[in-house]
Amino acid sequence: MDLFPYFAALQASPIGVFVKDRGATFASIEAVHLVAWALLGGAVLATDLRLLGVALRDVPSKTVSDNAHRWFKIALITLLITGFFMLAGVAEKCHGNFYFWVKMAALFTGILFAFAIKQPLLRRDHAELSPTTLKLVALASLSLWTLVGASGRWIGFS
Amino acid sequence: MYNWVESAHVMTLILCLGMLFLIDLRMLGWGFNSVPASKIAERLDKPMMIGFVAMFITGIVLYLGIPVRTTQSLWFRIKIILLVAAAVNAWLFRRHMQASVGAWDTAPVPPRRTRIGAGLSLTLWAGIVVCGRFIAYDWYDCGKSDNTAFINWAAGCVAATTP
Repeated sequence: MDLFPYFAALQASPIGVFVKDRGATFASIEAVHLVAWALLGGAVLATDLRLLGVALRDVPSKTVSDNAHRWFKIALITLLITGFFMLAGVAEKCHGNFYFWVKMAALFTGILFAFAIKQPLLRRDHAELSPTTLKLVALASLSLWTLVGASGRWIGFS
Repeated sequence: MYNWVESAHVMTLILCLGMLFLIDLRMLGWGFNSVPASKIAERLDKPMMIGFVAMFITGIVLYLGIPVRTTQSLWFRIKIILLVAAAVNAWLFRRHMQASVGAWDTAPVPPRRTRIGAGLSLTLWAGIVVCGRFIAYDWYDCGKSDNTAFINWAAGCVAATTP
């Protein structure tokens, strides 16, 4: 299936034109995207480092994951909205960009993992879960979001 | 090579600012309310500082990679001013916290002064990220014919950085 016509239509849409036509628009949206990235990363790191026993060891892991998840959701929504606007401005370029597709695949997996596996698991009593499971979940989550961030940064370089 | 250092700078953002944001959110009473404020601040301080050192080192390397243009960048200059302001704010915040935290450590919402300091910290650091990202754009590069005299003065233009 060739998605290029959809990408071209998005770039030609009022949203695409709005983002692309003024130099500072794209940059400003990009800057908000970066701030939200720091927040999302902080929420992911706090939870995962706690599950790995690296940070916040004397705070119950459920307290950490519950609180962090709230901010994870807020950051994710901000990232998705700003990300969509950024995409609209440079959709045709993104369509042919290898790292864009790597990021989309990692992002899709990351969201699925966070809401279908990680969060349902962490909502349970952590004492009932095996420490190995918790550590594996943390490692998978860290790897996924690192890939999302790094491949995202690389879209602009390639 | 520049791209790798740049990416490292962006990736360590989540360690440095990610932890800072969580600490500030606790100080605003917007998260981790059941955990004593001092505990969040102390436990996340180390990862935050590791992230800060990594950002500082990669930042210096990025600066040295493009020194003339960066020195004459309006955004870089604003970023440095905001960094100094954030440092002063952090120092005042730490002093205020050491003096008074005993009285409000377990309060879900800390006192007004703490919240103002945390809000200021969040705002300053968001501004630092924005300015940092804007350095990459050439809107006000020295040598641009449509720069006003004020822009050229504020950017400290000596040599043209745009062809």
